[in-house]
Amino acid sequence: MPVEAAVAVETMEITVSKVELLRELTATQGVVERKTTIPILSNYLFEAGDGELRLTATDLDLSLRTSCSAKVKKEGSCTIPARKLHDYVKLLPDADITIKLLENHWVSIRCGRSNTKMVGMAKSNFPSLPVFPTAGVVKIPGKVLRGLIGRTYFAISSEESRYTLNGALMLLKPESITMVATDGHRLAHCERSGEKFEGVSGELKTLVPKKCMDELKSLLDSTDAETVEFAKDESTLFFRIGSRLLTSRQLTGQFPNFEAVLPKDNSKSITLNNSDFNSAIQRVAQFADERSRAVRLKLEKGEVKISASSTEAGESEDSIEAPYDGETMTIGFNAVYLVDFLKAAGTSDVRLELKDSQSAGQLRPAEGDDYKYRYIVMPMRI
Amino acid sequence: MGFSDFHGNAETVHRLRDMLARGRFPHAVILAGARGAGKYTLALMLAQALNCLAPTETDGLPDFCGQCANCRRIALAADLDARFAEAVEAREGLREADKKDTRLFVQTHPDVLVIPPDPPQMMIKVDQVRRVIETIYYRPAEARERVYIFTDSAFMKEAANSLLKVLEEPPEFATIFLLSENPGELLPTIRSRSMVFHLGAVPVEDVERYLAEQRPEWKAPQRALVARLSEGALGRARGFDVESYIAARADAMAILNSALLGGEHTALFKITESYRAGAEGREKTEQLLRTLYSLLRDLMFLGSGASAMLHNTDIQSQLAKMAEAADFEWIAAASDRLADVERGMRRNLLRSLSLDGLSLALEKA
Repeated sequence: MPVEAAVAVETMEITVSKVELLRELTATQGVVERKTTIPILSNYLFEAGDGELRLTATDLDLSLRTSCSAKVKKEGSCTIPARKLHDYVKLLPDADITIKLLENHWVSIRCGRSNTKMVGMAKSNFPSLPVFPTAGVVKIPGKVLRGLIGRTYFAISSEESRYTLNGALMLLKPESITMVATDGHRLAHCERSGEKFEGVSGELKTLVPKKCMDELKSLLDSTDAETVEFAKDESTLFFRIGSRLLTSRQLTGQFPNFEAVLPKDNSKSITLNNSDFNSAIQRVAQFADERSRAVRLKLEKGEVKISASSTEAGESEDSIEAPYDGETMTIGFNAVYLVDFLKAAGTSDVRLELKDSQSAGQLRPAEGDDYKYRYIVMPMRI
Repeated sequence: MGFSDFHGNAETVHRLRDMLARGRFPHAVILAGARGAGKYTLALMLAQALNCLAPTETDGLPDFCGQCANCRRIALAADLDARFAEAVEAREGLREADKKDTRLFVQTHPDVLVIPPDPPQMMIKVDQVRRVIETIYYRPAEARERVYIFTDSAFMKEAANSLLKVLEEPPEFATIFLLSENPGELLPTIRSRSMVFHLGAVPVEDVERYLAEQRPEWKAPQRALVARLSEGALGRARGFDVESYIAARADAMAILNSALLGGEHTALFKITESYRAGAEGREKTEQLLRTLYSLLRDLMFLGSGASAMLHNTDIQSQLAKMAEAADFEWIAAASDRLADVERGMRRNLLRSLSLDGLSLALEKA
């Protein structure tokens, strides 16, 4: 991009602690584009003022703004190559770092006896950033949002042609929050009620893109802020977590009518020990067909038999004791889909509810579930 | 700034702007035209008109201001060669591991993505189309319309197939431009999902007038020659490299001379030998073939007594001498042969040998 002639001479000079700067740099790494030939996207925007340093990273779909306290000697702004800066700051001793903007977008970084210069770009090239709306802000407890994301994000489709499934649906009502994700083969649905969401009337439906979910997840993992402030305008979603603000462009399209696929009359129910079930599936799945990953579940009196076979690998069977006295039935599932749920459920027992071998199966935690977690898997013909 | 800066093809431009005015601009547009016909310039102008923050009107049709933040940023992509070179350089600067799966894009506005063919193969690759699919369903952030411009129609097979998917159901806020010198090169299924607009040749007098504005430093005869040689493509006329054309023409003349009037083969082989493998050799060969066509056409005009239509006006006397030796059948046969060589080039035949074969085949029995 052409370097525009600076109208006024830009200045900026600040001192920040290495630990604080590194913490924020690390938090934003996920948003920085690595493989891009659009140079400005591999840069941070640094803005200094009011006793803090605000830093911004964007890949155009997502942007993350964060800040750390700094001694501001001269207010101003600049851009710095993101990856090099992160790699460099990591290696500096724990001391104060002085960052100063020089001429022609050069930036000097001093720390103790280390002295480095890097070249940034004209900050006018940095994409302009959406502004957090003043109205319609909803506060969501961070723990709840984290719970919802953890139980659904893996079911989001990564198939690019089914673009309305490339995100999770977040459904806010005055007293509950629901999150649903599906890839057309399985669907994860969880709902947390008993919360109070001020400013929500009726239903607020939002499609949260997969990339945004991933980033939210890692931000929630590394924060001690208790609430997330959520807002949206026509084109952008905003999530404010403590001093960090994640924005994402909105996806277009209608999320499918998921309520229609939630099974209603799955009468055959069986409770299984999560870790026994999980390890049995993983063992047996070694012998499943490599493409379909299909395992066969056979419900018999007092036990469930899990088996798989393929012409190359051989065959394998595990059986788990289980209180079942209905009629014998066999059903096939993709082992990966089952394991995904068992990992996310996190309870010691899970309940498997089935109708017949042609209908979708439903899995849910057997006890102690605050999220009304339901996981629906389509059966496989085997 | 505005559509008034676009020269020639007034009717096509009018039709496109008319569709803008009615709010019925198609989601997929093929702009077809020769190299330098103004496909990219027009596509960028339309991108600006779609997204201008202070839209104006001229001649009763929508126009753009060229001043607002959107117009200015989109216009930064206008010098495609320079932006392309920057992108290539940016890729060179990446880590080895990242280089391999990084594809070239030019983006000076967050909602306008230009997709150039990816070197070294110089084709649009599947990862580039994937990037389009990944981002196209996001709502525009700073613009009204997300615009994607494919600057070339040489698609890898997989890339073309995955483009089909998105052409089938593009979101209402996106427009895809496909620029093509030869729309026939695109899959029929892509063509049928897009609207095709042709940018035709601009009349010679208009090119000359345009050159008088743009290239006042050129002498009038040079402008006249370039205006004829650029075949009505203004972009080509503006950046016409007369020297390399004259060099290619000297080679072409030597080939024709030796075929029609007889001559030393050693001299001929020395010339054809210089057409080597690699990207540089390809360009040189393509230019030679184009020049050969243009000379054959001139011979035909001379043979039919229409010397006013001549392109290579500066070597009229030499051409006249040749035209005496060349009858219509020979010219027709020669142009068939030339088409064979062109086909051979696409199959990567050895360039120097193909040219030798050509000149021998052209010799009059």
